[in-house]
Amino acid sequence: MAEVILNQIRKTFGAVEVIPDLSLIIPNGSFTVLVGPSGCGKSTLLRMIAGLEKTSAGQVIIDRDDVTDAEPDKRGIAMVFQSYALYPHMTVRQNIGFALRLARRPKSEIRQRVDEAADILQLGALLDRKPRELSGGQRQRVAIGRAIVRKPKVFLFDEPLSNLDAALRTQMRVELAELHAKLDATMIYVTHDQVEAMTMADQIVIMKSGVIQQVGQPMELYNRPENPFVAGFIGSPKMNLLEGKLAADQNAKIVGVRPEHISISQDCGDWHGKVRHAEHLGSDTVAYIDADSIGPVTVRLQGEVPMKAGTPIWMTPVRGNVHLFRADGSVERV
Amino acid sequence: MFSWKESGRIVSLLFVSSLILIPLSATILGGFKTTGEMRVSPFGLPREWITEVYAEILTDPNFWRYLWNSLIISILTVALTLVLGSMAAYAFAQAKFFGADFLYSYLLLGLMFPFAAAILPLFLTVRDLGILDTPWGVVLPQVAFGLAFSIMFFRTFFAQMPDELFEAARVDGCGYIRFFFLFTLPLSTPILATIATFVFVQSWNNYLLPLIMLNDRDGYTWTLGAMDYRGEYSWEWNRTLAFVSATLAPAVVFFLAAQKYIVAGLTGGAVKG
Repeated sequence: MAEVILNQIRKTFGAVEVIPDLSLIIPNGSFTVLVGPSGCGKSTLLRMIAGLEKTSAGQVIIDRDDVTDAEPDKRGIAMVFQSYALYPHMTVRQNIGFALRLARRPKSEIRQRVDEAADILQLGALLDRKPRELSGGQRQRVAIGRAIVRKPKVFLFDEPLSNLDAALRTQMRVELAELHAKLDATMIYVTHDQVEAMTMADQIVIMKSGVIQQVGQPMELYNRPENPFVAGFIGSPKMNLLEGKLAADQNAKIVGVRPEHISISQDCGDWHGKVRHAEHLGSDTVAYIDADSIGPVTVRLQGEVPMKAGTPIWMTPVRGNVHLFRADGSVERV
Repeated sequence: MFSWKESGRIVSLLFVSSLILIPLSATILGGFKTTGEMRVSPFGLPREWITEVYAEILTDPNFWRYLWNSLIISILTVALTLVLGSMAAYAFAQAKFFGADFLYSYLLLGLMFPFAAAILPLFLTVRDLGILDTPWGVVLPQVAFGLAFSIMFFRTFFAQMPDELFEAARVDGCGYIRFFFLFTLPLSTPILATIATFVFVQSWNNYLLPLIMLNDRDGYTWTLGAMDYRGEYSWEWNRTLAFVSATLAPAVVFFLAAQKYIVAGLTGGAVKG
């Protein structure tokens, strides 16, 4: 358990500045998710916390220790990699116990701690297998086991679920959330998938081009995005970001309305348009509508709503859920 | 039964393998023939299998001394090439340091340097070092000339190892040197076996270098021994062939033992995280 403080961190690769100037506090025991599009610097930031990448300037403080120049194994962190990075020539038991072996812990202690980790992750039956004999989900568990066994202050996850299929990803998401509750450790998790961020995090950090766009709890980011980027990034389908006359009329640069915050009617409403395409998902219906003088608008309706392409339709945004992004950077919700 | 394409392939493979198998079998079988029969039928099976020639060679202490000398020199060459080559290649593959590219190109330059052209300066250097007539006089130049190609192969193989493997090990507390011994070497058996076989066979069959460096008969390798033997029994070709056959065996055994790794080593990339 530890608080992680990033103090005016900078990172440049040659002439390219990946992270200009970044400060962030990751509270003790939190599950913080760094999320953003590819190339936004989230993995670089994680690697700087891990010590795998040197910072160009600034400080990394873990549990009140300045570890900016410390080697990765001296920082009290453990990391789970995207490709698992299991040691192919070692058994599961040797993989999990490797760090303890390097630290010259007694054999009995290594055995006991490996068994404990295997119990938590239900790996008991696989301990004598080699990584190549495991499925993707099992490999990921071994990688997590390798982290758990070191009893680190901070767990770092670098897109750990992106190599798994959709069903397994959902299952592992639940397992990771449970693991966090069980271990009560600080976890920092990098992903580009906003669903992972929303479902697991108790703090989300949204990044773009090395700059933090917003930090907050998942629902806070969903309900009160501070800028159009955050508004568009969180939520699926993404928020409708409307420009032009509609925005100008309300003295805003962009008007944002989530697809689930628009109601439809056959007779009357604020905006008129024609259905271009509808997706019937059973639980929801997602309609893509070409609105007159506004442009394309996505609407998400609960349950099955019969809809055909070409049908004229009226739309009304739900009051209190319209985000007006002003040119000066302020936001108003009406 | 076979398509034209398959038949063509079979015929060409049979032709290529016959280029090796016919002289090889003629050499081995020659040792079982009399000199007279050798002249009449060099490629056929012996009419009468004579085992005395082989028996004589295998009971000759000189023969075993030649083999022993060759074995010592080959093993030392293999061991040194593997140790130095893999370590140097590891540095080139893993570490980024000033002048790495220049140094690597300089080492690769050795590939283009013909061995025979260096023979005189090599002799002078070995003489000045005072290791003429010792196994080291052959071993060290062989290692020096074998390093270029072994470093090239090792580096390519090591560079294919996933970076995350090293990073994971680093987070676990493993530094560069430990990683080399605990990960790089154990995961590189295919390339180690490949290089070892090439170097071994090359050293085993080397004639020019021992000829220049070794003058004392006690230190002769089998290639020098074979020449000596041929000089002694120049009209008895069956003896010479039996001698050559007997000396081939260790290299063939070494090759067969390492064969399955060699294919993997040449196709590379056998590491997956």
